[in-house]
Amino acid sequence: MTKRNGRLAAAAILSTGLTTAALAADPIKLGVIVPTSGGGASVGLPIVDGIKLAVQEINAAGGVNGSKIEIVVRDEQLKPDVATAAAKELITKEGVKAIIGAATSATSLAVSEVAKAEKVIAFTPTAKTEALTDAKLHKYIFQYPSTTDVDGKRKAAIIADKLGTKSLCLTGLNYAYTTDLFKSVKASLPASVKVSNEYLFEMGTTDFNTTIGKLMADPCDTILGSVFGGSFISFAKQAAPFGLFKTKKLVWASQMGDYTMSATLKGDFPEGLWSSAVDAWYFDGTPAHKAFQEGLAKIQGKKETDMWPLAGYMTTQLLVAAIKKAGSTDPDKMVEALEGLTLESPLGPVTVDPKTHRVAAPEFYGPVVTVPGESVKRMSPVTLVR
Amino acid sequence: MTNPTFLFIQFMNSVSLAMNLYVVAVGLTMIFGVMRIVNFAHGAFYMVGAYVLFSVQRATGESDLGFWAGVLLAPVVMGVLAFAIERLLLSRLYDKDHLLQLLFTFALVLIFKDVVKLVWGAGQQSVSYPPALSTAVNLGLAYYPAYLLLVSLVGPIIAVGLWLTFEKTRWGRIINAARLDREMLSALGTDVRLVYAGVFVAGAMLAALGGALAGPRVAADPSMDGLVIIDCFIIVIIGGLGSLWGSFLGALCLSFIKIFGVLFFPEWEVVLVYLMLVLVLLVRPWGLLGQPDEERY
Repeated sequence: MTKRNGRLAAAAILSTGLTTAALAADPIKLGVIVPTSGGGASVGLPIVDGIKLAVQEINAAGGVNGSKIEIVVRDEQLKPDVATAAAKELITKEGVKAIIGAATSATSLAVSEVAKAEKVIAFTPTAKTEALTDAKLHKYIFQYPSTTDVDGKRKAAIIADKLGTKSLCLTGLNYAYTTDLFKSVKASLPASVKVSNEYLFEMGTTDFNTTIGKLMADPCDTILGSVFGGSFISFAKQAAPFGLFKTKKLVWASQMGDYTMSATLKGDFPEGLWSSAVDAWYFDGTPAHKAFQEGLAKIQGKKETDMWPLAGYMTTQLLVAAIKKAGSTDPDKMVEALEGLTLESPLGPVTVDPKTHRVAAPEFYGPVVTVPGESVKRMSPVTLVR
Repeated sequence: MTNPTFLFIQFMNSVSLAMNLYVVAVGLTMIFGVMRIVNFAHGAFYMVGAYVLFSVQRATGESDLGFWAGVLLAPVVMGVLAFAIERLLLSRLYDKDHLLQLLFTFALVLIFKDVVKLVWGAGQQSVSYPPALSTAVNLGLAYYPAYLLLVSLVGPIIAVGLWLTFEKTRWGRIINAARLDREMLSALGTDVRLVYAGVFVAGAMLAALGGALAGPRVAADPSMDGLVIIDCFIIVIIGGLGSLWGSFLGALCLSFIKIFGVLFFPEWEVVLVYLMLVLVLLVRPWGLLGQPDEERY
């Protein structure tokens, strides 16, 4: 016991010695609230990977304003009440200067309320709901991804220009993202595209045969779908033997262009399906993106990384740039610095809109197809849409 | 919507879904019928079946041989696990309170879920169709996926096989006897422990076979057990707890209501199945082909 205490004490002395030697000032703590267990972990853990990469780079370059950055990660478990408690704890107990998160629409709305009350910035890397920075906009909330209204415009442009659609069917899981997106797409379509029918099904559906039958019987030439995760896998596999993907063109929401999904479905991924992704590791458009992917490959242990880290990376970089520009971690000065801030990113310059607090991050779009010499389908050609 | 081709495809969809669910549900009804145990873990056994097939397919590549080897191996793996569970744990609870048995099978659900996450991860996995059956065949009225046709045939084959076993073999008679009077059978010199173990293993193997057969149709993920166990309970309650043909009929009722219900009354999708359940329970509380308790013996 005494031996162990002795060792602990020695370690403590050593580590304090190291930090005081390495740092002039106390580290700046950033809170991270994402799902790190359960069904959401496949999104949350990669976001943390991206944040870690950003922190590594920033600290290697000497930190910001003389201080190193530290992150404190909390599991939101996809539950708004858990996210709320985590945000309060991070602010009051850990003394974080800003929060990266939460990851989903429901949890980020919850964290936003805490941010408003405590006057600390919350910056969501992935939540797409418009409500966050529309009806519920306040001084301390910021949103990195493109919101459903922007997604709708981008998808409408692909339907009209790239696919030459005459008649469009819409199908998807019946929840807020789908209905918001469909509303925006329909509002943005040119008159040349006729909207045929809308087929929604309840969350948790595993048998899509009836919807597939209705889509087969519908005269539309293109389907816009909003089905994600396991439901997308079931849908794709049930529709394939009926030849649905051979008779209709497909545009898909929910970022089905992510490499993880095509690697899971392999040959069963619908050939030629148009979708999007926050990031695509095989894009070699800029040296900055290549450098980002090399750093990420070291953290994830593979070069075929998924798309979520970029969102975490960019959110962290924007927050740190704001601290640098403000010359302080005072939340009000950081907000002022963030509004209108433009930052070079692996995907080119991104700007925080001073009025809406949205970044409307660029996304990759393309048809997911078989590429010669590769076992996993990918978007090709892949285009960066902003 | 009333186009005959479409209606025919919906009919076939109902049959293939029903037969897939029947394979799982009949295992549940068997375990209940003989052992009087409500096996909450049945959905977890189904999940194991799908995941074993996934692993075999990943190891062998997407070949017909690999697929069918996986479909056969899934029940074998689950059978071994079920034998160990029954002999080492469940058998200690037979003379205890029913509540303990319920809690035990519920604990199994939680354990299996976590084991699946440890072994295969929390994300979704996908099993491909066997290459030879990945296309559709012409049935005259419409083209229909070959794989689903095969699944539609497996159900009746298992139903007839089980019926023959229970009605025409010595084993079947012993199992029936164990169902009716465990003590008497034991007094006559039969090792009832073996009968119970055999029934539990057979039921678990059917669940895993059903899971493997469902593999190409659905995504394998650690939450797939929850949906199927609800369907199975509805099936065995409609059909009659413990009745083999009851679960066959129950599976058909559930699938037709689900698939044609969505077609004609999409807003009522979620409610229709439960409406049917309530109706059956009002008219025949012991299920369509079940027996009231007082007539059972």
